[in-house]
Amino acid sequence: MFRRDTPAEAEFRMQVRTWLEANLPAVLRGRTVRPPPAELMPWYRTLSRKGWIAPHWPTQYGGMGATLNEQIVMTEELARIGAPALPAQGLNHIGPILMEFGTAAQKAQHLPPILVGTVIWAQGYSEPGAGSDLASLMSRATLQGDHFVVRGHKIWTTWAHHSDWMYALIRTDPQAQPRHAGISFLLIDLHSPGVKVRPINTIAGDEEFSEVFLDDVVVPAENLVGKLNDGWRIANALLGHERLATANPQFPLMTLDRIKAIARATGVIDDPAFQDRLAAASINVTTLSALFSHAVELTNNAHSLGPEASIIKLFSSELLQALNDLLVEAAGGHALADQPVATGFGDVDVAASFFQSRRVTIYGGSSEIQRNVLARRVLNLPN
Amino acid sequence: MELRLTPEQSLLRDSAGKFIAAAGPKVARGFRRQNPPFAPARLRAAGDLGWLGILVPAAQGGLGLGLTELALLLEQAGQGLVCEPVGSAAISAAALSAPPHPMLKAVMSGAALVVPALQEGPHGDDPLVPRTRAQMERGALRLSGNKMFVCADGAEGFLVSAGSAQGSILCYVARDAPGCTLSATPTVEGRALALLALADAPADLISAHPSSRNAVDALHNLALFAYSCELLGVMEKAQDITLDYLRLRKQFGKPIGSFQALQHQAVNMYIRAQAVRSLVFAIAANNDPYCMDPVMAIAAKAKASEEALAVTQAAIQLHGAIGFTDEHDIGLYLKRAMLLSALLGNAAAQRRRYTEIAGLRAYI
Repeated sequence: MFRRDTPAEAEFRMQVRTWLEANLPAVLRGRTVRPPPAELMPWYRTLSRKGWIAPHWPTQYGGMGATLNEQIVMTEELARIGAPALPAQGLNHIGPILMEFGTAAQKAQHLPPILVGTVIWAQGYSEPGAGSDLASLMSRATLQGDHFVVRGHKIWTTWAHHSDWMYALIRTDPQAQPRHAGISFLLIDLHSPGVKVRPINTIAGDEEFSEVFLDDVVVPAENLVGKLNDGWRIANALLGHERLATANPQFPLMTLDRIKAIARATGVIDDPAFQDRLAAASINVTTLSALFSHAVELTNNAHSLGPEASIIKLFSSELLQALNDLLVEAAGGHALADQPVATGFGDVDVAASFFQSRRVTIYGGSSEIQRNVLARRVLNLPN
Repeated sequence: MELRLTPEQSLLRDSAGKFIAAAGPKVARGFRRQNPPFAPARLRAAGDLGWLGILVPAAQGGLGLGLTELALLLEQAGQGLVCEPVGSAAISAAALSAPPHPMLKAVMSGAALVVPALQEGPHGDDPLVPRTRAQMERGALRLSGNKMFVCADGAEGFLVSAGSAQGSILCYVARDAPGCTLSATPTVEGRALALLALADAPADLISAHPSSRNAVDALHNLALFAYSCELLGVMEKAQDITLDYLRLRKQFGKPIGSFQALQHQAVNMYIRAQAVRSLVFAIAANNDPYCMDPVMAIAAKAKASEEALAVTQAAIQLHGAIGFTDEHDIGLYLKRAMLLSALLGNAAAQRRRYTEIAGLRAYI
């Protein structure tokens, strides 16, 4: 709404739109839940062959080397056509991390398979006893000659049961103070002996994440990224862009359309009390567009957003949740249907959309943790 | 989040900062229940700096700047609880500028104050269907009707909306015009708001700027936006004062700002203010001052009104008992927020209009 395409960006947008219309299979459009790899990865590889799988990767690593605005155009066009979410751990996390911190050998081994879509990555950060307090993690690696022996338990690991590799934060110095100074960043082959992966069913009815048991898993020493005990810094280095991408107002705009569709179908659109909430929601989506374009402008001008990026994460995730609450309200009894609801303006998967929105204020640092970060690091409130 | 400004915009903001350094809550306190509730010399000083002609084209002697500059100025006015009606004068000057009305020069210089009088009910109105009527009698325009909540003290004239055979028109009415009576009600904020009764009062027709759809629509949108900018400044300053208090005030042997429950409330204030800030400046960057998108002007006023009240109320809560005293300044920010939120319709009233104008009931 507030960000306007330059003529070149507008041309790129039309190019992307036309290509997506011609190439994204209809069965993959508008899915509320991410399809399993057998359905999704062929689409991943189609994007890869087109050269569009990694807009944000530099060309030297096979990416598009796109500007931030071009990346946003792609995100918006993918959202517009209802393209399914791709596995992001390789493209958005370990790929950029290896580009910055990896050895030449690590880059050569791991970046090409991410680009072509032959390897899927998982992120092994959280543990049963280390969620918001991530630095308390206890999975241990001991260096024995040319390899580490890793023992521990990771959880909430998105798509681990579909993944080939996992990058993980593992404790390598149990005595270190502060605790995060004793953590290293390791690349673990999930096909190694001693790895057991168990999928976890979510309240959304999907198996988006798993727990990973590591029972004396042998990890070659060359799979350490960066220096020993420097894993915390590496894991935290590249969070800003990710927060920006997930805050794109395109997703709330789509939810707003779904609310209007279902509210028309159920008749609640004529209720003044509902209209008031819908107007507030719509104004908040406009506000997110403003916050987003503001953040993009600052990022484009090499001002790192820094801890202020938490505002974007908080505002967009809490808005998406509020919108889904309104969607459920508009649907009334239809919100209980465990299948899409026909509206006359397209089918709306009310319950699935609602459940999916519950996770956005938890992952990537819960809303409460984001507030702690803002209070201490932006508002400079005392400890 | 910081704003990316041109060097000229930074200069304007800095000079506005210097101007408000001489304002602030102590000064605002002194103007409560005064008539006029501001210093005329300070209004002239704002005129000397060019600010009252900030939107007026350079050909008419103004600065010819846009909504971003207006927003920078009024954000600071809000922060400083400035009592001089800089915003009202600036948007009135814009309305009087095309073609120039005889009052334009005096308004731009701050020698005379003209303020909008557009509101006819407690919840704001559809600006395009005023109940005040305009009639031509022997070649002279005469108005009859009532305008409410007019910041009339210190004003020499009003910009009044009226219905006519040609639709909604904007008119200038002098304060001392025959048939023009004012009855003032004191407000909690300190200044009086007046009922402006017009009985066959003579008026001048104000033409619309060439890029405006309608002169009333343009002024109304501009007024909604100007109030939003001031509300932004009010909530930002209330937040700053509260953060300082949280850092200094000790209970249980620690600064109360170290308690997570209070930290999270402080962050909520911060997010509210930042959201309004991004919204106000995004709208400023994307709109022509003489032809604002009414949906955007309404969105800004709805959001700013709601959040300014939430922030200033939270500010009082976080201060505890001292925040409830008249002696402490924080209450002045709540009262200024109440005034600006209510003018031309509060957040709920804006949302009602938004529903109609943004076409929320029509599908996509």
